[in-house]
Amino acid sequence: MIDVKNLTLEYEEMENPVLRNVSFTIDEKESVLLLGASGSGKSTLSRCLTGLYPRELDGSMEGEVRVAGKKVDGASPGAISRHVGIVFQDPETQFCMLTAEDEVAFGLENLGTAPELMEGKVDTALEEVGLLPKKGRTITSLSGGEKQKLALACILAMRPPVIILDEPTANLDPVATDDFVALLERLKLEKDVTLFVIEHDLDPWLSITDRVLMLDREGQLFYDGPLREGIDRYAPILHEEGIAVPQTVKLAVEEGAATPPLPLTARELAGRLPVLPEVREKEDGERALLQTEKVNFKSILHAIDITLPEGSFTAVTGPNGSGKTTLCRVLAGIESPTSGRMLHSFPKKEWFKRVGYVFQNPEHQFLTDSVWAEVAYSGADEERVRHLLEWCGLWERRNLHPFTLSQGEKRRLSVATMLVEDQDLLFLDEPTFGQDARSTRRVMDLLDEKHRSGTTIVMITHDMELVEQYATRVVAMKDGEIGFDGRADELWKRDLDAFQLKRPLKVRLKEMQEGGVRVPQ
Amino acid sequence: MYLNNVNPSVKALTILALVLILALLFDPVTPVLFTMFTVLITFLFGRFRKKYYLFYFLPFTIFAFGMFWTTIAFADPPQNPAETIVLLGWEVPEENVLVALSLSFRVMAFATLSLLFMFTTNMVEFLLSLMQQLRLPPKLAYGIMAGYRFLPMLKTEFDQIRAAHRVRGVGTESKWKRSRRFAVPLLAGAIRKAERTALAMESKGFTGSRERTFYRNLKVRGKDWLFPAGMGAVLLFFIIFSVRFGYFSWYQGQL
Repeated sequence: MIDVKNLTLEYEEMENPVLRNVSFTIDEKESVLLLGASGSGKSTLSRCLTGLYPRELDGSMEGEVRVAGKKVDGASPGAISRHVGIVFQDPETQFCMLTAEDEVAFGLENLGTAPELMEGKVDTALEEVGLLPKKGRTITSLSGGEKQKLALACILAMRPPVIILDEPTANLDPVATDDFVALLERLKLEKDVTLFVIEHDLDPWLSITDRVLMLDREGQLFYDGPLREGIDRYAPILHEEGIAVPQTVKLAVEEGAATPPLPLTARELAGRLPVLPEVREKEDGERALLQTEKVNFKSILHAIDITLPEGSFTAVTGPNGSGKTTLCRVLAGIESPTSGRMLHSFPKKEWFKRVGYVFQNPEHQFLTDSVWAEVAYSGADEERVRHLLEWCGLWERRNLHPFTLSQGEKRRLSVATMLVEDQDLLFLDEPTFGQDARSTRRVMDLLDEKHRSGTTIVMITHDMELVEQYATRVVAMKDGEIGFDGRADELWKRDLDAFQLKRPLKVRLKEMQEGGVRVPQ
Repeated sequence: MYLNNVNPSVKALTILALVLILALLFDPVTPVLFTMFTVLITFLFGRFRKKYYLFYFLPFTIFAFGMFWTTIAFADPPQNPAETIVLLGWEVPEENVLVALSLSFRVMAFATLSLLFMFTTNMVEFLLSLMQQLRLPPKLAYGIMAGYRFLPMLKTEFDQIRAAHRVRGVGTESKWKRSRRFAVPLLAGAIRKAERTALAMESKGFTGSRERTFYRNLKVRGKDWLFPAGMGAVLLFFIIFSVRFGYFSWYQGQL
């Protein structure tokens, strides 16, 4: 279906090629997963497959790309879209119409589908992804997961034999991710589609992958074959390549049970490991750093009573739209509560010297033209700036413009700018969002280090593995109220579906082991 | 029969024509009558949230009043200084008041006509109709549509950046410097978004060519002509009325 031969691609402004001599084929009805770190050329490859490159490329491209037997190079965009459809990463920017049905119809209109057939096709496509009841809704009123399903429906309506998914779940919470993958799994059974998934995170895709391709940071393919074999062979270096190894493998390595074949599901792992020791309890300080009494904010937050103990690491979690970000913004003093009281000991004038807030999009916070100036902005001395830049691994890049950094570097820089004053309290809005495995690890290491040295941290996250590993306490939001506030191990005992959360692997394992689940050896 | 169902292109052209005719006239009575008629029609035959109408109507009223006032205050010397009217204890030449009234009521007439269109027209249908009836190139029409979706996103992004900068302790510099700091992330974000949207549209087979079919087909039906006919007839009636009672006058560059 897809046939790529010796593809080498170079951008004009970059020294090294993004893709080097990449060759692979994908057969009809196969589901192939392409793994690679962010910046390894994954998205570039997807642009080659859809024919956007070389047409729109500033640079050079060698080699040949064929889709359904036809050369992509030179074909018109209209012609290619009959063979390949693509679902992109960002749910916000892949639509151009206002309502769901219009958006699905847009592709059909481009193909010149007869008007009298269109409604039927639109309905079928929406039905397939389960969005038929929301046919007439505006796109802005849909959740992130629904938007991605809609993007898929748009492609399904056009019936291309190949569907490319470019990190389709990177912006979704865990439950929406599982939901989306389950949908694809069903479609794969029901329809004759070829799926080509581009990802840096393997975990959600284990069940639907027939074959994996692995791309290294140099833009070369280093593995092409069955999933299990690839993991067994390359598990130790995957992390270095920015590819997230499955949680089960990670845990197996940590617990010293990492002999091939490596476990890919909790069930496989449960049989291997001895019963895990009790999860360590983390203690918080006594003194309350910040406290609220019956705080309300517009119609978003209701009667919030919360205490942040000094030196705690609080994870704020819950479904999208439950008020997590608003809660943190109110606590951080960015928004003033509509009613209620905030108790704290910070002088008002020095508030933002004591409290830091790292926004979801790090670019929003950059003010200057260089990495160095960014950290030095608030008037820190040279020694301190140097120390911070070295600490977060950006010393080499001190003269670059912040906007030219990679995703992970931008994130670390924004964390560094918030620690210049040695803030006592640091808020972070999904600091690991859209980051590959390696940069997630680096950011979390930095935060953990700060936490150990006494900084109080509040972090919004959907990632329960992070919660389990780092947080001393969890606040789970639901409909603008605090649904749970306490230690993480208490939360695992609650009904997590209500918060759209998943138990972390260790907890699931423990349940399996204790529940005496029979494990096939 | 609602105004919302009138074909958007017919509606737009009608309103354009009415505005042009009104611009040729220069007496205070015709635009007043026509303004009242337009508001009446809007409320009788339009489906929209009525209280918002007032919200948009108010600024135009204030603008018209300001225009009225400045025209009197900065008027040319009158030809008949003897004929005066007392306004709020002021004695002003009658001629100037008439010019000022004509001007400000003209503004009101234009405003109410625009509001009629705005409140009873669906933006998507308007663009579709422009493509289908008036041959607007799809490249332009869908570009506008995508841009329209961007506006709320830009607003949220702007608010985000403002908050983010506040946390960084911005606030002591000059306005110009501050707005520059806003511009970079805002533009960078907008360009990236636009590029992504363009990519997504292209991957769905959009080429900008006219060879496409439409999911919603907007046609000009017989009853769509009721709107231009009715509005035109009423304006004509008001004009005949003005001629009959002798206050009709063409616009001859008065101010």
